[in-house]
Amino acid sequence: MLLTLAFASLIRHRARTLLAVLGVGVSAGLLLDMVMLSSGMRESFRSLLLSQGFQLRLAPKGTLPFDTEATIRDADSLVALLRARPEVERVSPVLGGQLHIPIASSTVTAAALGLEPAVQGDYELVEGTHPAAAGELAVNDALLRAIGRRLGDTVTAAAGYDAQLRGLSGVRTLRIVGRVRFVYMAAEQRGAALPIATLRMMQGADATGRISLAMVRLREGIDADSTRTLFERLIPRVTVISTSEAIRQVDERLSYFRQLAVILGAVSLIVGFLLVTTVMTVSVNERIGEIAVMRAIGVRRGRIVAQIVVEGGAIMLVATPLGLALGLVTARYLNSILARFPGLPERIDFFLFQPSAAWTALGLLVLCGLLSGIYPSWRSASLQISTTLRQEAVG
Amino acid sequence: MPQAILLALLAGVMQAQDVRTIAIDERLAADAGLRIGDRVVLAATPESAGDTAVIGALVRRGTDPAEIARGEYRVRLHLTQLQSLLGYGDRVDRFAVQTRSPAVTDQAIARINDAAFGFRAHRSADIAVETSTTFAVVSRFHRAIGVITVTASAIFLLCIMLLKVEERRRDVAALRLMGISARTVVRSVVLEAAAIAVLGSAAGVGVGALASVIVNSHYQAVYRTPLRFSIVTPDIVLLAVVLSLALGIIAGWLAARRLVATPPLTLFGR
Repeated sequence: MLLTLAFASLIRHRARTLLAVLGVGVSAGLLLDMVMLSSGMRESFRSLLLSQGFQLRLAPKGTLPFDTEATIRDADSLVALLRARPEVERVSPVLGGQLHIPIASSTVTAAALGLEPAVQGDYELVEGTHPAAAGELAVNDALLRAIGRRLGDTVTAAAGYDAQLRGLSGVRTLRIVGRVRFVYMAAEQRGAALPIATLRMMQGADATGRISLAMVRLREGIDADSTRTLFERLIPRVTVISTSEAIRQVDERLSYFRQLAVILGAVSLIVGFLLVTTVMTVSVNERIGEIAVMRAIGVRRGRIVAQIVVEGGAIMLVATPLGLALGLVTARYLNSILARFPGLPERIDFFLFQPSAAWTALGLLVLCGLLSGIYPSWRSASLQISTTLRQEAVG
Repeated sequence: MPQAILLALLAGVMQAQDVRTIAIDERLAADAGLRIGDRVVLAATPESAGDTAVIGALVRRGTDPAEIARGEYRVRLHLTQLQSLLGYGDRVDRFAVQTRSPAVTDQAIARINDAAFGFRAHRSADIAVETSTTFAVVSRFHRAIGVITVTASAIFLLCIMLLKVEERRRDVAALRLMGISARTVVRSVVLEAAAIAVLGSAAGVGVGALASVIVNSHYQAVYRTPLRFSIVTPDIVLLAVVLSLALGIIAGWLAARRLVATPPLTLFGR
């Protein structure tokens, strides 16, 4: 009976109910997007950093990984020291640089990572083999397309330019043995991986014994943050960054988006709340005579309040799936816009759908729906029956 | 410069004529308690001896959007001093060329690129476009969010107008029974809706201007920059007013049309 009456009341004003559902749906969609934005970026970045299982990164003092061209010298002894530590399971040294590959009359330039393929955590092998031997090269699809070569082909590549001799420096013939997907590179960025010894040789004497970064995987149960503090004390010439520290720094740089998410999420909740409250209040005002008659024939006050709360809740409930669908579609679109940030790794998502985000949005909407029924319910419950009936009868 | 510079504060403030001067960020000065005339040691790596310099100037960070999210400190040195510190020889990362007139810029770029090896000349405006890609992305994101919020506001406004007009069912019925034409009723409702929309937009502009002040003061403090994050321009005000006026008029017209299409006695509930 209660549901039937609430349903009949909503159906009586179809246009109004439809608009209210639409309005709440758009607000719910925006709310879901903002909940996804506020937590998605951090979670996405965390899972990217931990995807290869390395919890610590050692960069030249005062820098972030690959933020500058600075390198760590005497890296072999540093890596040996780290590998001897009981907390450490694996160390992956990485040297950054560039590869210049002459193609016809032009030169294609790509980011180059010199690494130890057996312990590396920078790429995933898609096809072929790892570049384990000297002179072997693994490339990503963007570079493969740019140079128009296939697996098994050889290329002539250089590590730099010699401006005085007007020629390429560190030239070497390399064989493409693998097609890879780089974990931390931007989608359109051209990249190549080769053994660290080969890249050092190509870069010349300056690169001997140097690395740009060392990634460290800790043994099970070892706390990353306390190990980070320990390593910074042991090796003062490097900056040690743990996953939580990296996330904190990204949070700091992108705090704008999180705050925007909180503000817009709050605004969308308020808009939804006001909309339902207004619709319900007007609806109660219109049915004031009807409610007085119901009270006069013995319908309890609680039942009338329940009917109004059910009506508000029904609008919220019907609007929620609409909002969820709308939110997911717009999140996808907004994510595609933000994915164009220059240099952003392909796997970073600003809007990451997590069931917890949907539950949070739903919980907030239900709460909002219940709160929006308070004023109209109070108004209907506090009606003076006889006065209202007389006013309605007189007109 | 691609290398990191380490800066250590020397105790004492001895003055020496042969010590070179540097300029540092205002925020570095504030965080490290440095002042003009203080003597510091600059080193490329923690273990190297470094070079002594005197702080000759404090530099306020410009309103460059590309720099707001970057928290690192900046130190400006004489070129040769930095080259010597980094062991860079006579290398530079880039150099700027001022042409005699804008008309010859393209010609100069072409001639430099013909002779260049291992580097390229670019027009400053092109580099500015390239480096502002981040903000072009943020701007697109804001526009998309704007479209969503305008859609939500439009539905909200339409709903409110519908309710507002429907509240006046009896007034409209009385007017119709008195012989007032449907056209006049629709016009009066539309006029009322327009007035509400204009008043609402005026209030909205006030709220927006206040929010803009709060946003600017908050983010200027967070990012320690004089950059203005939110600006309420006449164009934006005009867009907001026109949009809400159009929405208000459409909503009022739709609601009024529904009312006048209903027989007056039905509106009275008889």
